[in-house]
Amino acid sequence: MNMATIIALLAVVLIVFFAVRYIVKSKKSGAKCIGCPESGSCCKK
Amino acid sequence: MRIAFAGNPNSGKTTMYNALTGMSEKVGNWAGVTVGRKESPLKEEYSHGQEVIAVDLPGAYSMSPFTPEEGITSEYVRERHPDAIINIVDATNLSRSLFFTTQLLELGVPVVVALNKSDINEKENTVIDVAALEQKLGCPVIKTVSTEKTNSGLKELVDKAISLNGKGQVAPYVQADIDLHDKNQVDAEDRKRFSFVNDIVSQVETRQTLSSKSNAEDRLDSILLNKVSGILIFAAVMWLVFTISQAWLGPLVADWLVGYIEGFQEWVTEKMADSPAILTTIVADGIIGGVGAVVGFLPLVMVMYFLIALLEDCGYMARVSAVMDPIFKRVGLSGKSVIPVIIGTGCGIPAIMACRTIRDERERRATAMLSTFIPCGAKVPVIALFAGAFFAGAGWVSTVSYFLGLVLIFLGALLVKVVTGYKYRKSFFIMELPKYKIPSIKRAFFSMLERAKAYIIKAATIILVCNLVVQLMQSYDWSFRAVEEGMEHTSILASIASPFALLLIPLGFGAWQLAAAAITGFIAKENVVGTLAVVYGLTNFIDVDELAMVGGANEISVAMGLTTVSALAYLFFNLYTPPCFAAIGAMNSEMQSKGWLWCAIGLQLCTGYTVAFLVYQIGTLITEGHLGQGFVPGLIAIAVMACVVFMISRRIRADFDRQYALHGGKIPA
Repeated sequence: MNMATIIALLAVVLIVFFAVRYIVKSKKSGAKCIGCPESGSCCKK
Repeated sequence: MRIAFAGNPNSGKTTMYNALTGMSEKVGNWAGVTVGRKESPLKEEYSHGQEVIAVDLPGAYSMSPFTPEEGITSEYVRERHPDAIINIVDATNLSRSLFFTTQLLELGVPVVVALNKSDINEKENTVIDVAALEQKLGCPVIKTVSTEKTNSGLKELVDKAISLNGKGQVAPYVQADIDLHDKNQVDAEDRKRFSFVNDIVSQVETRQTLSSKSNAEDRLDSILLNKVSGILIFAAVMWLVFTISQAWLGPLVADWLVGYIEGFQEWVTEKMADSPAILTTIVADGIIGGVGAVVGFLPLVMVMYFLIALLEDCGYMARVSAVMDPIFKRVGLSGKSVIPVIIGTGCGIPAIMACRTIRDERERRATAMLSTFIPCGAKVPVIALFAGAFFAGAGWVSTVSYFLGLVLIFLGALLVKVVTGYKYRKSFFIMELPKYKIPSIKRAFFSMLERAKAYIIKAATIILVCNLVVQLMQSYDWSFRAVEEGMEHTSILASIASPFALLLIPLGFGAWQLAAAAITGFIAKENVVGTLAVVYGLTNFIDVDELAMVGGANEISVAMGLTTVSALAYLFFNLYTPPCFAAIGAMNSEMQSKGWLWCAIGLQLCTGYTVAFLVYQIGTLITEGHLGQGFVPGLIAIAVMACVVFMISRRIRADFDRQYALHGGKIPA
């Protein structure tokens, strides 16, 4: 396995890990739409 | 300590809240932008180390809620007992604002009145005697200008509110002990309160500009609110917005950005020349190609958001509501339904939430059901991709997409009106028109940046993960063996998407790749572009030079194998079928009826399918002289949909007749 492959594999794992973590955290904090600047506050009653 | 920000709609509450907390909640120059409660701690420079929470509430004209979002304000200040209330009063319209102020003063919670927009009063030579007003109301009154950095009066205002913590409030006017169920008694009491307020205003206010005199704003309104010229101007303004963002300025910037993304993709592919092919495909095509294809459209979206923010800020969008009111009334909606439609150009979720400002339940649900027909920001890349690849970047594609969305709202409302037997009910629309003002470039710029940030976060999270999954599903078959080149139809993705593709043959796009892209679009609409990039191995969807040279017959159109007619049908299918799942969730919470929700999803599916069918079949007949593939099955599908709508309509009408029948639902002989 060459260096480029190792770096690419690591990059994929890290990117996916952080992306999924962000999605899960956003959903837990009540966001309906990921990345939305309203962050779910538009839906509060 | 909790300080509630309460006041009439469009008095500047959220602007002040943003200035005091550092938040960037949505503001707009019209009534009804804030429809929910928002809370945040005050900035250190205002709270002096104490924990002070600011609570921004929706605008209300009185403590007796007229619309659902007014109920939020009334319930909060009445039941949650904030430690102080900052009552934001529009200084340019004192007599209207003080009605609510006198009601707040009766609650016993200390009130500080912020005489907001005082700068406009100075320009119009309107003088308010602050000391006299303080004495009449029995509470502190402070002049404020929330949009100013210095001398805004905000520090003094917050200091005063904090100093009143734990103290009470004496009311200058106390409502008589009346029967609140008796409309006549309530009316009489309200008139007395108005008379009390008018008496105060006559003593504290000196006006040079009388509202009875016609001024330049009134003359401009006579043109913009005219039922003919108003609509023509609206059409021209929107055409300009879409053309600048999606045909002129947007693609130029996007072309430059895409060049860098493509260069980066090539560089990574080169560096990974010795890596396993599957890994190179995942990284270069799946992640960089898929996400890059979506991010490439960012400049188009940013330019559109910037222009719409300018229009909102100058006060024009509120006029659009008034112009559209007579048209919308004909189909059982009102001008209030226009606000969600305008907000929907940004995002469908706040648009659906904005339906709270509509009092009538049927009208509110119908608006929530239909407002997502207006293409949101997430659909801009899809429009731009097809306009660029098949119509040489023609600006009319986006303009037609938006106006067709309006027409579908109109027709959908008509259908809802017929199905629900609307003729039995009435609707009315009262709206306060904000003053015209020169739009703030800075505010529009920051509004644009907020949206751009959201777009990038979405691309780097949900769209990235989706593209990766799509790439893996396309690279492997069900035995988890890598799919060889040219054998993609044996992949997991192809086998899942193919049954759906069969249903799409009458619409002119029965390829599994296109079906897969449409399905992933329900997660986020940008995914349509991302998935197309992955399944066709394309990244550069914006090549201004190539489009100029070949006028549409380019790499993208060749790869997808669509005619211009079927491409337009596919675009409309993606625009007018149900929105993303998040927006459907918002519809669910706003409609509060499973029946209405399923009807909404069904209506949107039928609409998208029918529009695409008509565009493909009629377009093929015109351009090629014969009907397209699958005409008869498509016609049968649409006939079945029409039968379902007819059955639902009959059932609702039967229920309605049974509910109001005097003879057990049977007509006596």
